[in-house]
Amino acid sequence: MKFKTEVSAIALAATASLGLAGQATAWSLEEAAKPYAGTELEVLFLDRPGYNAAIKMLPEFEAATGIKVNYTTVPYENALGEQVRDFVAGGDLDIALIDLVWMGNFAENGWVVPSETFTKNPALADPDLDMADFFPLILDAFGSWNGVNYGLPFDNYSGLLFYNKCMLEAAGFDKPPATWQEVMDVYGPALTKDGKYAYALQSKRNETQSADSFARFLWPFGGSFLNAEFRSNLMSAESQAGLQFRQDLMKFMPEGIVAYDHAETVNAFAQGDVAMITEWSAFYSTVVSPETSKVADCVAIAPEPTGPAGRKPALGGFSLAVASQADEAEQAAGWLFIQWVTSKANAGKYLEMGGVPGRQSAYADPALAETYKFIPALVESWKEGVPEFRPRFAEWPAITEIVQEWGTKMMLGEVSIEEGSRVIGEKMEAVLAEAGYYDGKKPLAQ
Amino acid sequence: MSFPVRRRTIAAFLGPAVFALVIVGIAPLLFAVWKSLHYFNLTKLAQQRFVGLDNYIFVLTDPVFWQAMGRTALLFAVAVPVQIALGLMIALVLHRPGLTFWKTLTRLSLVLPMATTYAVVGLLAQVMLNQKYGVVNQMLGWIGIDAINFIGDPTNAFIAVILWDIWQWTPFVALVLLAGLSTVPPEIEEAAQLETKSHWTVLRHVQLPFLIPSLVAVLILRTADTLKLFDMPFTMTRGGPGSATEFIAVLIERVGNRQFDIGLASAQSIIMLAITIALARAYIRFFYREVR
Amino acid sequence: MAAPIQRRNLAGEAILLTLICLFCIFPFYWMVTTSLKTQVVALESPPVWWFTPTLANYWEVLFEDKVGVALINSIIVAVCTTSLAVILGTPAAYALARFEFRGKTDLWFWFITNRFVSPVVLAFPVFLISRELGLRDTHLALILMYLTFTLPIVIWICTDQFRSIPRELDEAAMLEGASQFRIFRSICLPLAMPGVAVSSILAFIFSWNELLFAYILAPKNAKTAPAMAVTFMEGYDVPYGKIMATSTLIVIPVLIFALLASKHLVRGLTMGAVK
Repeated sequence: MKFKTEVSAIALAATASLGLAGQATAWSLEEAAKPYAGTELEVLFLDRPGYNAAIKMLPEFEAATGIKVNYTTVPYENALGEQVRDFVAGGDLDIALIDLVWMGNFAENGWVVPSETFTKNPALADPDLDMADFFPLILDAFGSWNGVNYGLPFDNYSGLLFYNKCMLEAAGFDKPPATWQEVMDVYGPALTKDGKYAYALQSKRNETQSADSFARFLWPFGGSFLNAEFRSNLMSAESQAGLQFRQDLMKFMPEGIVAYDHAETVNAFAQGDVAMITEWSAFYSTVVSPETSKVADCVAIAPEPTGPAGRKPALGGFSLAVASQADEAEQAAGWLFIQWVTSKANAGKYLEMGGVPGRQSAYADPALAETYKFIPALVESWKEGVPEFRPRFAEWPAITEIVQEWGTKMMLGEVSIEEGSRVIGEKMEAVLAEAGYYDGKKPLAQ
Repeated sequence: MSFPVRRRTIAAFLGPAVFALVIVGIAPLLFAVWKSLHYFNLTKLAQQRFVGLDNYIFVLTDPVFWQAMGRTALLFAVAVPVQIALGLMIALVLHRPGLTFWKTLTRLSLVLPMATTYAVVGLLAQVMLNQKYGVVNQMLGWIGIDAINFIGDPTNAFIAVILWDIWQWTPFVALVLLAGLSTVPPEIEEAAQLETKSHWTVLRHVQLPFLIPSLVAVLILRTADTLKLFDMPFTMTRGGPGSATEFIAVLIERVGNRQFDIGLASAQSIIMLAITIALARAYIRFFYREVR
Repeated sequence: MAAPIQRRNLAGEAILLTLICLFCIFPFYWMVTTSLKTQVVALESPPVWWFTPTLANYWEVLFEDKVGVALINSIIVAVCTTSLAVILGTPAAYALARFEFRGKTDLWFWFITNRFVSPVVLAFPVFLISRELGLRDTHLALILMYLTFTLPIVIWICTDQFRSIPRELDEAAMLEGASQFRIFRSICLPLAMPGVAVSSILAFIFSWNELLFAYILAPKNAKTAPAMAVTFMEGYDVPYGKIMATSTLIVIPVLIFALLASKHLVRGLTMGAVK
C-alpha cells in the first residue's frame, strides 16, 4: 500500500512535469494515448441505441489512439450479474457500465476508481472535459456516490410521454394530457375502445417493474420508497394513493400488462394499438423509424404528466467508470475512452448516431429540436428529476427483487395494495437493518 | 464365477473415475455446505460471517421457497400423468404390427423433441406462443378460439409451461413404454388376443405387468428432471409473470445470481438436494434392485 | 391373428401416426422458417406462412454476433468432456461389470445419484472455486464440470455393455497370462465399442445442451452456444429471426446425433433401466 502511494506520488510528479511541457503544445488525444497504444479494453455493452451509436464511433477512437475497445453485448438483465461476478473474481473488465441504481454498490465495493484520479492528471485530463457541462442531475445520479464522482454519464434516459397525435386528434384532443388525473378521467375513457388502449405501462417482473412501473407512480403523487429515517414510506397516504392510481389505471391498459417489457410496450405503441406510453427517451429512434413503426408520422413527445406532487419523471441511465481491477495502462486508456465518448466535442455525433448525450451544450442549438422532437421534453425532465427516484445504495439489488415480486403481485390482484406495500416495507427494512443503517454503522445515503 | 482380483487392480480401474467425480461432484458440494452456514453475499463480501443454521431456518420458514416447491410438484402432478396417458397411447399404436414404414418414421420423429436443447425449447415457446405473432394463437383462431395471452397471464403461463413440457417429454415416455411393450413375450400376447377382443383386458392383464419397470423408470427420471427444470422456464418466462412459473431451480438461480446471496442459495440447494436424494433413494432402492 | 389386423382401420392408424409426426416436427419447421424471415416479416400478425426467405439472420448471428465462436466453444467443450468421460469411465465400467468387491452397491448408487443432482446446486460453489483457481471463463472449467453428468452416462451404459461380453473370453486370456488391463484394453474394449459409441453420443448431446454451468462459469471467452442464445433476450427489441437462426444452428447437430443413436437413445436416457 505504502509502496503504491509512493509510486503514484512519483508518477504524479512525473506527469505534472509532463503536463507543464504539454501545456505549451496543447493537449491532444493522440499524444495522451501514445504510451497506451496497443492496450485492449474490456467492457460490457447493451443492445440499445446509445451503445450502437458508440460502436459506430469506435473506429475513430481506435485509429487515433491505437487503443482497442472490446465490447461484449449482454442483455440488461444479465449485466449486473456478469459484472459483479467479474469484479468479485478479479476478472478482465477494465471499464464498468453502471446503471444509476448500481452506483452505491460499485462504489462501496471499491470496484471503480474516482474520476478525480484522472482529472487531476494533466497527462490524461482533456482541458475541455468541462464536468459542469453535464446536466448536474445526471452527473450526480448516474456517476456519483456520497459526493464522489466515479463515472461520466454515457447512456442517458429520462421518462417521456410518447403519444400518438393522430389517435388523440381523432378522439378530439389537441394536446397531450398534462396531469395523471387527466389521463385517468378524460384521456383514458376516450381512447380505450375498439381493441385499442389509451396507455401501456411496462411492468414486467424485472427492473422494469420497479423502475418503470412502481416508482413511476410513487413520486408524482408525493410518495417515495423511504422516509428521512430510512424507514419504509410505502404505507404513507401519498405512496398508497400513487400505487392505487396505478392499479386503477390498469383498466385503460392492454391485458397481461405485467408481461410487458420495453419491447412489447414500444411495439404496441409502434403498431398503433396504444395511444400513449411513458418510455425512456432512448426509444425515440425506434418509434419514429418507418422500418419499426407504423405510426412514425403520428409520434409526438411531451414530458411525463404531473401528479399532485409535481412531475418527478422516471430517471434512468448509465455511466462509464474505470474499473479498479484494471492495471495502470488499462486504467489510463479506459479513462481516455470514457472521456472521449462522453465529450462535448462528440456529443453532436453521438446524438446523430442515435445516442442521447448528457451534455447541456449539445442541446443549446434550438434548430436541433426540429430534428429530434424529444429534446425539449428531455431537457425539461432533467430539470425536475429526483436523483433517488430509485435509491442508489448497495442494497438496491436486494430491494428491487422484493419490489419486483410484490409489485407484480399487486398488479395481478394476488395481494391488496396495502398488504403488498406492508410486505415490501417489512422486507426492505430487514435488508436495510442487516446493512446497518439503523444502528448508525452506515450513513443514510441513497 | 469370478476372478480373484487384487485390490490394487480394482483401484487402478475405478480410481480415476471416482477421483474425478469426487473433485467435480463432492468437493463443490462440501464447499456449498460450508458457505450455506455463512452470510455470504457477492456484493457485500466485507460483511461475510458465520451465521450457523440461520440460512436454513430462513429457507425452511420461507413461503417463497415452499411455494416454488409446490409449483414444481404441481407441474409434475399435472404433466406426468398426461405424458404417461398420451405416451402409452402412442406406444400401443406403434406396437401394433403393420405400416412399418410409417412407424419407423414416427419413431424417428419422436426422438427429436427430447434431444432438443432445453434453452431452445423455451425460446421456441416465446416465438410460437406470442399472443400476437404466435402461430399457436393463429391456429387457435382457425378453430374459432380467441388469441390466448400465454406468456402474460399467470395461469396461462403455467399452463404453457405444462404444455411445452408435455410436448418435449411425451415422446420420451412413449419410447420408453414401447421398449417395455417389446419385452412382453409375443406368444403370451397372441394367446391373449385370441381369447379376448378387448384391448383394455389385454393391456390390463397381459401387458401392464411388463410395463411396470418402464413406468417406474419414467417416474424416477421425470421427478429428477422436474426438480432440475431451469432452462425452459428461464428462456420462456424467466419465472414470470409474477412468480407464476418460478420453479425451484429458477428460484435458486435468482437468489444466487440476481440477489447475489450465495449463502442463502446454497442453503436452498442443499435442502433441495436432500429432497432429491431422498426421492432418488426410495425410487432406486425400489427399481435398481437387480443391480449388484 | 390375421383377422383382427384386417378389421382394423389402417387408414385411421396412418392418420394418427401422421398427427404424431406433425406434433413432434412442427415446432422445428416453425423454428427454421422463422429463422429465414426478416424482422418485419417475423412480426407480421397473423404470422405468414409464405414469404421470400433470407439467409441474412444466419450471416448476422454467425459473424457479427459471434455465434460462430460460441459454436466452436461448444464443440471444444463437448468433444473434450466426452473423450475424458470415455477415458475415465470405461475402466470403471469394466471394473463394475467384472470385479467383486465390498461397497460395490454403494458405489453404484453414488454414480447413479449424480444423474439426479441439479446443476444449480453445484454452479455457485464451482464459480467461487474456479475464481480461486483462475479457471473462470475457461473451457477447462466447463469440461470438468460436465463430467458430473457425462461420466455417469458412460459408466452406466458401458457397464451394461461389458456384462454382455462372455466371461469365457476373459478367462481364456487370463490362462494365457494376459494382465487384467491387457484383457480390458485389447479384448473387451473393442467388443464394447457399440456401448462406447452410444454413450459418447449421449454425453455429447447432454454437454451440448447444458445451459446453467455455461451461463455462470463462462461469460465471454468460453461462452457456449446455448448461453449465447440467451443473450438475445434484451428487453428492448426481440429479434425473432436471429433468435431462431441461432436456435437452428444449436439444435441441428444434436438432432443429427440423436437420429444416429435413435435406437439407443431410450436406453441411454433411462440409464439402462429400459433396454
